[in-house]
Amino acid sequence: MTAALPRACPGAFHRCTLALLALFSSAALAAPQTYTLDPAHSWVQFELLHFGTSTLRGRIGPLQGSVTLDPEAGTGELGLRITTATLSTGVRVFDARIRQDDLLGSDTWPDAYFVASRWRFEAGRPAEVRGEFTLRGISQPLSLTAVRYRCRVPTAPEPADATEICGGDFEGEFRRSDFGITFGLPFVGDRVRLRVQVEGRR
Amino acid sequence: MNKFLLTAFFAAAAATAGVAQAAPATYAIDPTHTFVTFEISHFGTSTNRARFDKKAGSVQFDRAGKAGKVDITIDMTSVNSGTAPFDKHLQSADLLDVARFPTARFVADQFAFNGDKVTEISGTLTLLGQTKPVTLKALNFNCYDSPMIKREVCGGDFETTLTRSQYGVTYGLNYGFPDAVKLIIQVEAIKQ
Repeated sequence: MTAALPRACPGAFHRCTLALLALFSSAALAAPQTYTLDPAHSWVQFELLHFGTSTLRGRIGPLQGSVTLDPEAGTGELGLRITTATLSTGVRVFDARIRQDDLLGSDTWPDAYFVASRWRFEAGRPAEVRGEFTLRGISQPLSLTAVRYRCRVPTAPEPADATEICGGDFEGEFRRSDFGITFGLPFVGDRVRLRVQVEGRR
Repeated sequence: MNKFLLTAFFAAAAATAGVAQAAPATYAIDPTHTFVTFEISHFGTSTNRARFDKKAGSVQFDRAGKAGKVDITIDMTSVNSGTAPFDKHLQSADLLDVARFPTARFVADQFAFNGDKVTEISGTLTLLGQTKPVTLKALNFNCYDSPMIKREVCGGDFETTLTRSQYGVTYGLNYGFPDAVKLIIQVEAIKQ
């Protein structure tokens, strides 16, 4: 609540008072809220085209981190840690191969990161977030676009152990060669599609 | 995988471009490049995904004759969401009831083509003992000569949406979990 006060009180005292009254009467919606990622519902699935024929998929997660959002101000901070050794393709020999240093490099660089603070909101909901993606110690810009986004108050059968749960599906893409991952090109595509499921709780 | 081996044999003609042979051929499912992933909405917020890791089967593909057959069996116990308690619930009698119905089977012999590319495959899916018609739509389809195994491989990406209550899976409908479940299928099959 305190962080919202300077924005709510830009002018004369009586306007400030009115703004404060409005703030309290419309509950705490205007304040930035911090959500901790729910490990059961925070994953990234990546997709690459195999011999121009079918789509290879792998899942990494759960994603760890938190998001602070202020929809009214259109601002937010996102910090995600992605432990790449959690990779699961459904084929153990693939998982072991992809963790090696010329691909994910899970021993040398155990974590990938996505840190972002440039948000585009539509109708009070995050529509896009742009930030920096770090993989194998290499950082590049990355944008994730919301496919859907919603906040809810948990109701049965969900445990009532959160005040609010917000999340959605986000998509993005990068070129793996930008991160030095060139093995298998061009038989396995350079373009990596990301499908991110994320839910945060407060 | 062996216990799920299927023996569906078929003829494929002129499988590689310019080769006008009509010899029968079998394409065996490559289990390392064949997966079914399902997607279902989680309280209208995000999308839950899980993958079935064990499967076996074979596909017939006759580009010249524009025909094909497919017979794939999925080990329902191999469901893998990344979250052990969720897998356990998926396997339970509430949902997939894998103790009673350990396998699902897709059998199809209606292949639609656009040129030499498969666009749709229609057949039946047997899930929890219920057999219903299902059409898979192709998003990608291609054949290539694998430099690793020195054989022709055909495959693609397919999608369909099931109405789970048709198979008796009604858990959570009253909580707002949707009836629609999207299946996302990667398949590659190796010419035998």
